[in-house]
Amino acid sequence: MKMERIGPPRDYNSLMNLEEGWVSRDVFFDPAIYEAEMRQIFARVWLFVAHESQVPKPGDFVTTYMGEDGVIVARQKDMSVNVFLNSCPHRGNKVCHADGGNARRFVCNYHGWAFDTAGKLMGMNEERCYDPGDIDKSEWGMKSVAKVATFKGLIFATFDPTAPSLEDYLGDYRWYLDCMLDSDDGGSELIGGTMKFVIPMNWKMAAENFIGDAYHAAWSHDSGAKAMTGGMAFPELDLHNTFHASANGHGHEFGMDGFGDIMLLGRPKVTEYFMQVLKPRIEARLGKLRSTIFGSIASATVFPNVSYLPGISTFRTWLPKGPDKTEVRTWTIVNRNMPDEIKDELTKGVMQTFGPSGTFEMDDGENWENSCSTNKGFVTRQGRLHYRCGISRKDDHPELPGIIYRGQFGDSNQRAFHRRWLDLMTAESWNDVPDRQGNRLKGRETRDLHNGLRSL
Amino acid sequence: MNQLAQKIAPLSAPAVDLVVEIQQVLYREARLLDAERYDEWVEMLAPDLHYFMPNMETRYRADKSNIIADLKRAAYFNDNREDMLKRLDRLKTGTAWSEDPATRFTHLIGNVEVELTETESEYRVYSAFLLCRGRNESDEDIQVGKRKDLWRRTPDGLKLVQRTIHLNQNTLLSKNLNAFL
Ligand code: FES
Ligand SMILES: [Fe+2]
Repeated sequence: MKMERIGPPRDYNSLMNLEEGWVSRDVFFDPAIYEAEMRQIFARVWLFVAHESQVPKPGDFVTTYMGEDGVIVARQKDMSVNVFLNSCPHRGNKVCHADGGNARRFVCNYHGWAFDTAGKLMGMNEERCYDPGDIDKSEWGMKSVAKVATFKGLIFATFDPTAPSLEDYLGDYRWYLDCMLDSDDGGSELIGGTMKFVIPMNWKMAAENFIGDAYHAAWSHDSGAKAMTGGMAFPELDLHNTFHASANGHGHEFGMDGFGDIMLLGRPKVTEYFMQVLKPRIEARLGKLRSTIFGSIASATVFPNVSYLPGISTFRTWLPKGPDKTEVRTWTIVNRNMPDEIKDELTKGVMQTFGPSGTFEMDDGENWENSCSTNKGFVTRQGRLHYRCGISRKDDHPELPGIIYRGQFGDSNQRAFHRRWLDLMTAESWNDVPDRQGNRLKGRETRDLHNGLRSL
Repeated sequence: MNQLAQKIAPLSAPAVDLVVEIQQVLYREARLLDAERYDEWVEMLAPDLHYFMPNMETRYRADKSNIIADLKRAAYFNDNREDMLKRLDRLKTGTAWSEDPATRFTHLIGNVEVELTETESEYRVYSAFLLCRGRNESDEDIQVGKRKDLWRRTPDGLKLVQRTIHLNQNTLLSKNLNAFL
């Protein structure tokens, strides 16, 4: 997508040195950087807009945002999904004011222009006032995104017709994403509806926390972990058999303990189901390696703004609402094939841990807000933030795809996140965006790769 | 639409004494919550408590799905007594860093209305709340909404059996909800 530059070009390379391991505080503060992110990142990359399970039937829709652009995501009669701007091309009014529902058409409140579920202009109130030649209705619908694609239930959209395919965009990260999206043959679904809350922080603070910051959990979430498990703390620090894995800026940090995250839900029925039923299924379907990864202490982010905790089952997107404001939208992600009782237990478990009143979530928001707000100070924000933890622990793992570092407590995935950010902020076109160990599995269904790279 | 206000014919008007008694209980409860005197608050909860604060979602009037009442959906709270105790355990660990310094809470309770039910010892109670939270240097969060309760008379005093809480905010305009309502 060709975009005009606003203001003098900025040397984004001066904002971080990821070989040395630091990032400028300005990245989390500067309104001009934020505006440029809207153009360079959110108007170009693939963004998560909904899960198929949110719009199962023709006419089903949800409203959400791509960057700060409001969009309607609607299921069509032919079961395809259309995504278009939630703004009337007449005077710009917001057309749909509901979070979701089922519609035969969308009618604008201002002058009564009516659109079908694909966003196409069908007609308007007092259409006679338009003389022949005044309007070509086929050209004045609500503007569609450039491309829509799904990956195992997740619907993504991009405003950029030149963006790579979704599969290439996700690249080898698919191998990790499948731990959650493809862990049994019924696939996944989001249940319970969308919870929404607002944290006064820059969106990247949360995205980079989920991509790699296992470190904070042991301190920030000591109280939550003890409350949910009846006094258990986090497992002993292991720098050998725990990992950071990233590909193209998407990342997953994880242990190999096999149950740490599951235990944190504090729901014995879920623990039993995951250990007795789901894990053997994952082992048969995805291999032993990923059945061990699943449910371990872990967190993950799909660049730029989708995060989740496999096992704990919270799934969320960080919607940017300005340089210092982020709306969090969260769901519970489950397998369609899970018994209803387990789905209920998971909904409650996620609510009690990672809902806005959850025993874990409450500590995060407070830290993230204050990690950003201090940068209002002119002198404060001239400083750098430290990202060097574990920088020498890079590992050529024979099985794990992506860029691998040993030791779950570290900054490796966070550096990969900012590296991808810098790639996009400085790239004129997608041809300039380097591959970040992203596509060794290209064209392969990851289900078949039980031993990761070794299965190639 | 205010779904908590759905019409049920009251059996007969409650006595003034009962209304005053219940108002006093609600105010006392608010005072205990303001002061984080949770151990005493828990004493006011019945063993078969259901404490429910659904996620609000905006739907068109024509949408009759009534998702707000659906107990299977996401919620701020959908707890029994044991679940509530677990949440309170977090505060007792001494490592709930974000709760120190403490939040300054004020629960304002109003619009109290009492109805008798078919069970002589149980009362339906409607109320509205305004929660104001002050934190640290300059945080201020205000949430407004309404509640529908069931209170039961026991030898140990009135106990809360059911509470449904509806927030006016659709998107919670705060970083968290570190409060009970
Ligand atoms: S702005 Fe939508 S009909 Fe005029
Ligand atoms: Fe956290």
